Formats: sequence, C-alpha cells, structure tokens
Amino acid sequence: MAAGVILGAAPGAATAGEWLGFRGGDGSGVAADTAIRRTWSEEEGIAWKVDLPGRSVASPIVVGDLVVATASSGPQQDQLHVVAVDRESGTIRWQRVFQATGRTLCHPTSAVAACTPASDGERIVAFYSSCDLFCLDLEGRLLWQRNLAVEHPRAGNDVGMGSSPRIIDDAVFVQVDCQGDAFGSAIDLATGEDRWSVTRAKLASWSSPLEVDVAEHGACVLMQNPRGLELRRADDGTAVWLWEGNVGGIAMAATAEGRVFVPSSGIAAVDPTADSGRPLWQQPKLSCGISSPVVFGDSVATLNNGGVLAVADRADGSLRKQVRLAGTFWASPIVVGDTIVAVNMEGTTFVVDAGGSYEILAENDLPGSFPSTPAVADGSLYLQSETALWKTAAAAQP
Amino acid sequence: MTLIARRRPAFPLLVLGFVGLFSIGLVGKTRAADDPAGVAEAVAAAVRLATASASGGNAERAEDADRIAAIAPAMLVPCLAAFAEATPGGVNWLTNGLDRAVERMGDQVPLADVTAFVADPTRPSRGRTLGYRWLQSRDAATAASLLDSMLDDPALPLRRAAIEKRLAAVADAAEPEQIAVHREMLAAARDVDQVQAIAAWLREHGDEVDVSQVLGFVKNWRASETFDNVGGIGYAAVYPPEKQAAAPEATAWKEVAAEGDQGAVDLNAALGTLKGVVSYAVAEVDMPRGRTAEVRIGSPCAVIVWVNGEKVIDREVYHASEAIDQYVGEATFRAGTNTVLVKCCQNEQTESWAADWKFQLRICDQLGTPLGVQP
Repeated sequence: MAAGVILGAAPGAATAGEWLGFRGGDGSGVAADTAIRRTWSEEEGIAWKVDLPGRSVASPIVVGDLVVATASSGPQQDQLHVVAVDRESGTIRWQRVFQATGRTLCHPTSAVAACTPASDGERIVAFYSSCDLFCLDLEGRLLWQRNLAVEHPRAGNDVGMGSSPRIIDDAVFVQVDCQGDAFGSAIDLATGEDRWSVTRAKLASWSSPLEVDVAEHGACVLMQNPRGLELRRADDGTAVWLWEGNVGGIAMAATAEGRVFVPSSGIAAVDPTADSGRPLWQQPKLSCGISSPVVFGDSVATLNNGGVLAVADRADGSLRKQVRLAGTFWASPIVVGDTIVAVNMEGTTFVVDAGGSYEILAENDLPGSFPSTPAVADGSLYLQSETALWKTAAAAQP
Repeated sequence: MTLIARRRPAFPLLVLGFVGLFSIGLVGKTRAADDPAGVAEAVAAAVRLATASASGGNAERAEDADRIAAIAPAMLVPCLAAFAEATPGGVNWLTNGLDRAVERMGDQVPLADVTAFVADPTRPSRGRTLGYRWLQSRDAATAASLLDSMLDDPALPLRRAAIEKRLAAVADAAEPEQIAVHREMLAAARDVDQVQAIAAWLREHGDEVDVSQVLGFVKNWRASETFDNVGGIGYAAVYPPEKQAAAPEATAWKEVAAEGDQGAVDLNAALGTLKGVVSYAVAEVDMPRGRTAEVRIGSPCAVIVWVNGEKVIDREVYHASEAIDQYVGEATFRAGTNTVLVKCCQNEQTESWAADWKFQLRICDQLGTPLGVQP
C-alpha cells in the first residue's frame, strides 16, 4: 500500500522558545535556530537545579514559562508526579500527584515515569508506563484522564512501557504495544474521548508515534513495532501504508522531506509513497541502540549503546564519519544550532560539531545517571537525571 | 473471574452518612457548619469525583474538581471522607481537586482536623494518606508523631512509614534491642521490599529468617506431566488437568516444593529443562473460614490460575519480567481445604534469559497478609 505524495517533514519544527514533546514537538530532535553554551559543570554554567519527587527516565518539556517533568515514586512506583518548574527561577510552580491504575512493575533501570509528556502550548498530557494518561492545563488543573489499563485490562509490560504520546492536530496519539491488549489510539485533546482506536499486534515495543504528513491523506501518524511500520491517517485512523521488516523495538524512526529513516539493520531509508517496500538505501553502520536517529541538514546521525556516533549522507546513506564518544547511551542525540548534543548515562554531555568535522567540542559532566533525552529552548539545555532536572545558563550573546 | 483492577465499589453510603452528620451540624464548627447546603454540595461533588468511571464525563468531572478546588477550609476533611468508595480513576479526580484546594488555602489548611482524620484508622486509607502528605509539608513533627500508633495501620504507606520510623529509632540501640525491634517489624511489614530488607538485616545479625514463610508462599505442590505448547497452542488448549480444575486429573503427578526466598516452584528442576510445553501444578490450601482473598502469582511464563475450579488469573505473557505478586486476582475460598491449580506455559524462545519455567504463588488479604495453611 502506498501513501501518496509526502509533503515533507512534519510541520512545527522545534522553535527556539518551546520543546513540546519527546525530541521536541515534532519529534525531530532538531532545534536549528538556537545555540547553547558549549561548557558547563555542576559549579559553573548552570542556571538552576531542581530535585524530582521520584524517579524518571522521561524527558522534560518546555511549554510557555514552565519546564514540565514527570516522575514516579513509592514502593510500587505507583505515585505519578507531574512537576511544573518556573523556567526562569527554577522554583516549583505546582506539583500534582496521581495514583497509578495500571501495572507499575518495570525493570530496575526504568521507571513508571518513562514516557515524555507532550503539550500543544496550552495543555499538558502526561503518560506513564501504567497506561494512565492525564491532561492538565498550565495551572495544573486536571482536564481529563484516561485510565487505559482499566479500559484494556491486559495492557502493559512489566519491563516497563516507554512510548511517549504525540500531539497532532488537537489529538494525542498513544501507542501501547505489549503482549497483552496492544492498541494505538487517537484521543481528542479537548475532551479526552477517542477519535479512533485500533488493535495492534501483541508485541512489545517502546517506540513513540511520529507525525508524517502525506499530501493525499494529510497528517498521518507513524507507529512502529519490531515487525515493521504502520502509517495511519491522523483524523480517522485509516491505514495508508504498511512496511514489513525487522525494525528496532525502542529507537523510533525519523522523517524528513518524503523519507522515513527506520532503525532496521542500521538505518533503512524508505519512501512511504512507493509501492515497493524496498529501502532506498540501507546503512548497517548507522547503528541505533536505544537512541533514536536524528536527521539534520543533509545528514542522518545515529548513536549506539556503546557511544559510537555515526553520520551519513541522508540522500544515499554513504557514511561520513564515525566518532567514538564515551559511556553508555539511552538518551537520543539532538541537534542544537550547529552542534550535536549527546548525553550518556554517566552524566557526560558531548557537544559535537555538526558542520562537517564532527569533532567533539566539549565534554561536560554532571552528577547522576542520565537516561533522558535533553530538551532545549531559548539557548538553554534542560538535562534530566533520574532524580534531578538541570538547566544550563543561556549562551553568552555574541 | 474477578480481576482486582476491575472492582467497582458500591454506592458510597458511608460518605453520604457523613454528609448527613455534617449538614446537621454534628461535625465541624467553622464556616462550613454555618453553611450546611454548601457542605453538602461540596461533598456531593467530592463523591461524584471519587466514584468517577474510568472514561467519559471528563467535562463534568473537571467542573467538580474546580468546585473542590474552591472549597472553604472547613470542608476539606468532609471531602477527604469521599475517598471511602473511590474508584481507581476517581482517586485522581478527587486528589487533584483537593491538592489544588490545599495549595490555595496556604496557611488556612485546618491542620488539627486533618491530623484527627489521618490518625483515625477507620477513615479511608487514600484520604488519610493524602492528608498525611499535606501534614508532612506543613507540620512535619505532628505528622511524624502520628506514626507511633500506625505499626499495624490499614493504610500501607502509613504503616510503612511507621515501621521505618521505629527502626530508625533503635538504630543506635544495643544489638539485642535492635534485633527484637526488627523481629517485631518483620511481623508488621507488608510491603515485600520492606519485608526483604528487614529480613536481610536480621540475617546479617545472626537470625535465621525464612523469608518464604514470612511472605506466605504456597510451598507444597504436585506437578503434572507435560503437554504440548509448540507454537503457543497450549495456553488455550484444554488438557485433562483443567477439564475438572476443582479436582484436577493427570496421569502422573510429581511432588514439587517451592524453594528459596522467592518461593519458586521450578518446573525445569522438577520436570527437566523443556521448551514449548505446559505443566499444571496443584496445591491444597486450608482456610479456617470461608472468605474472599487475593491470589498473587509471579512468573516469567504464561499462567492461568483456578481456585476451586474458578479461573481467577490468566496472563499470556512470556519472559517480559518476573516479580513477586506480579498478577493478582480475587478468589472465593471456602472453610477447609481449597484446591489451587496453576497452568504454567513455557514457550520456545531460545535466549538464555528465556529459560526459566517457574512460578511463585501466595494467598493474601488486601494488605498482603498471608492467608491459608497447607494440610
């Protein structure tokens, strides 16, 4: 099944002022129109630090004058926190605590707060491994909730769920892939009611929905699991393209200008408008571990669990450079201005030149374990360890 | 089959009774007592929130949460009582409204009323735990003082905190006193990780602690011969032992004892390291009286559990994880001997981490207190 003509990358590319979801509001992980300071440490170049009320492997988001983080706490990790921090001062504006209604078992390295929240700029949706979905306004007022594991009693994965919600056209898209009640849903952002919901294969995955716009169908949502990709119209859930292949279960695909870059034996570039499922190119050295690929300019980059950053030409997949960073990586690399930013679990943030040399420009250490992809807005990085949120001071103006 | 997560509480008679008391001025002495209609309206909103269904009605619930967020301080405790019959989602609606109310009240929060509510073990555990959280951030000393009488509290978070406080109080005491207190706290603890931590401490200090016994795992089982599960067909297949699950039949049974702190019934050890197979395990458990109880099973394999022939748990999940109390179902037990039948399905995955074929099972009340003895 072919999808028709692709218009291009998802709209709403991350602006300098906000960061509205996992890898930004558009899921690209690119903030081209901002720049961050190159160096910082615990003692220098940090605007503020806030301790979280529990554990988190989710990423923070930046919405309006708030930085929003999630965490989970309690012996059963069933206390679900949403924390709104004043972006300037680092003071906690409000904090909400909810009770999980679904499964809260997870691997010790993960947390029930594993899914990055999302926002449309006015509302915040927070999703957890327990399949609880909360929508709040920017004052912490609960607008609606969906206890999806109550509705789908066998939904959940005791390793921990990790798929982050994505907002497309006033709907929030959730992907619940597991061996039990697996499903994907589009939920109206205003009412919390289903726009549509489809059963998915009983197969665990941790990747997140991604917006892909197709001329013939408009906004579509891409969902992947280890057996392949599925593209559905965002408005009514109609399946418009299926791609079968061995796909990573954690790292999510990236998209740009009519192509989807899929974690599949390296990276496979595929064209959702083509009848053939054959990849346009496949580059095994673009190895993804847990981290998702990032597409920027005419390049695509990946980062494997062992810290090898690989960059290739996105037109043909030809390898440009491999750079060995240090440590173990869960966080996905992001592109900020003319740099690639990658944070390892050990708390070292590598700032790498994205302009062609791919040299490591700086290595900045913070204490703690850092599984979360950073957020970026207005020249500051928001780095989240399992227990704390840090904001780097803005870059000095030229 | 009754899954715990599906339980739906009955109509909140207790809360409405409380509303009645309050509205005729028997409870409370502040502004709310002069405005019984306002109290009744607030509590009615709290009840609607607490009993909200898992989906739908969001707009109405959000309005009710706004009403609760605007209540006068004297209405706080009456609204806390609405947790008595809360649904899983209702807990969150009511918590959001009340947290916002407390946030708005600032230093007007009626701490004495909240303290009395938290201290009363007959009040709903959810409400008491929420009130305790408010107290902790406003009057930590009073909150801590309440814990001294909460070692057997029905609110598990409060009981846990009380045990932690008691243990901390003897941290510098002589070893015999520490050991004595740890033994007491081992009996009081219900959270599995807290039981394990106390037991580990006691072992380090020379005590022989049978963790499996403390947690109450069913130890004595008989395992059947194996049946086909190639291609996963065995989970749905009805093999002889489950044809009469109340009195399982098999051509061969083998005695198997649960082993170790985790109370594991290791079918690989009992039957051989096999893949693509099903085995059934049966145990008899005596109850002194008929009652409902929770059956709690953990397994890396797909499992089905019957109690006296009634299916109480079924989970077709392979090698995603394993934990004590992983799956919980509610069952009816009769006075005397009860039959527990477990179907444990091993798949054909070849990874080393997918080799385990085992389960652990215990029967508890809602707090995790072990129930039942084996004949």
